[in-house]
Amino acid sequence: MTQGNKGADRVQGIAFRTGRILAGLFVLAIWISASATGMLPGPVEVLAYLLSMRLEEVVPQVLKTLYNSITGFSLSFLASMVLGLLSHKLPLIRGFSEALSEIFNSTSALVWSLVLVATLGVLSPLPPILVVAAVTLPHILTATVSALSSADPGLLEAVRSVGARPSDEFFEVILPSSVPLLASASRVGLGTALRISVVAEAFGSSGGVGYMIIRSYNLADASGVLAWSLVLIALVLGLDQLVLKPLERRAKRWLE
Amino acid sequence: MARVMLDVSSIYKSFSEPVLVDISLHLNRGEVLGVVGPNGCGKTTLLRIMAGLESPDRGSVRREGKVGIVFQEDRLLPWKTLWENVALGLKYHGMRGEELARRVREYSSMVGLTDSDLSLHPRKASGGTRRKAALARALVLEPEILLLDEPFTGLDVKARASLREALKWIWDEYGLSTVIVSHQLEELLPLADRVYVLTPKPAKVAEEIDLRGMDLEKRLERVKEALLHILSRAGAD
Ligand SMILES: Nc1ncnc2c1ncn2[C@@H]1O[C@H](COP(=O)(O)OP(=O)(O)O)[C@@H](O)[C@H]1O
Ligand SMILES: [Mg+2]
Repeated sequence: MTQGNKGADRVQGIAFRTGRILAGLFVLAIWISASATGMLPGPVEVLAYLLSMRLEEVVPQVLKTLYNSITGFSLSFLASMVLGLLSHKLPLIRGFSEALSEIFNSTSALVWSLVLVATLGVLSPLPPILVVAAVTLPHILTATVSALSSADPGLLEAVRSVGARPSDEFFEVILPSSVPLLASASRVGLGTALRISVVAEAFGSSGGVGYMIIRSYNLADASGVLAWSLVLIALVLGLDQLVLKPLERRAKRWLE
Repeated sequence: MARVMLDVSSIYKSFSEPVLVDISLHLNRGEVLGVVGPNGCGKTTLLRIMAGLESPDRGSVRREGKVGIVFQEDRLLPWKTLWENVALGLKYHGMRGEELARRVREYSSMVGLTDSDLSLHPRKASGGTRRKAALARALVLEPEILLLDEPFTGLDVKARASLREALKWIWDEYGLSTVIVSHQLEELLPLADRVYVLTPKPAKVAEEIDLRGMDLEKRLERVKEALLHILSRAGAD
């Protein structure tokens, strides 16, 4: 019986991994057929372009995009913690945060980029950071508010019974209890941040992977557009699989 | 005349329906008091009111000293070691360093926790060890009144015996006035000096029984008789 189940589990596991590989081949097939029309360079061409790129050309742009994403995300994370904490006690801030989330959530990255670049200028390094902050804020804020109210009332009562003050309750129970939910939200949020950052970079002239994509486009360099897009995909996938996913898994074990 | 450490007088408490109705009881100094009653009758609620964690709708509670409470579910912080959990109250009261460490060590060894037990996180510790850590967390603050909610529930035979030994040692050494809420008569009755028997919800005091001078067999017989009596009366309603 268990033997049979184990066999079935293995077959399902192999099927699942095959599905994942097929997805990669599917995307590649679309690319190859699109390039057959002659409008788009094919994988081989783009790979050759990628290999011809110099490391000292790629690394600064990647770092710039990482910097924009992480800084923007940190801003929205900090704002969420402050608003989330105050929401806990004050209905006014709760209403404010909720409506702010709704407004920001219905505003596009495109609108933020245009407004901020128009306000701060194309050379300003700030728009990508602020766009990332604005776009990730609703998600992180909503997650933070629910994470901060996820603490077990039994644990709160227990620490209160041995003399915890409200600040002890916050730092020793409410905050630690929210770690798993915050970790999940941060993983999604940082992934979003990277993809949003390049949109905002495309509108300015301060560099980053998004800036390189649009520059290649303006130079009618189709291979460059695809090569830098692959850099972005590698960056998003690499960060998620190698850094964020393991961190999230660790955080989830925290409460057991 | 024994000094009264905890005086509960005419307590009423309702949530969506009445849970406690006109409960009066008292705990004498150095006494081990049992509270028994059917599951769900309101024992935990009564204990939380005694501890001041919940306020009664009517009636009053007078406490002659600091209260320590041990919850049925242990309620240890999962992200801290048992040592850190035991130390919580002392830290909140501003104690630090060697003085804190000495106090944690003293009360931990009193309940039978070893250094290697104390280095564990709750998920890695056995049920008995966790229960002892919860007990030590209450004891480090040196309460004059100890409240225990179902302390033996969920523990195996060995852990129950070990916890019983720890409690006896504490009573012999400190004469700590204690209330134990339990529906496990075999565990509670050998320890208690006196018991209050509560009715099914809403809880009233059905009977107060002084167990001193009775052997275990007599104690069990006497309390079971009282429980049967109230259950048959409840069934007749
Ligand atoms: N905070 C609460 N809110 C609503 N109902 C409660 C609350 N605490 C306890 N009760 C209810 O009071 C009754 C008695 O609960 P409890 O005191 O835990 O009983 P016992 O400990 O004797 O099993 C139960 O019906 C329970 O559902
Ligand atoms: Mg209970």
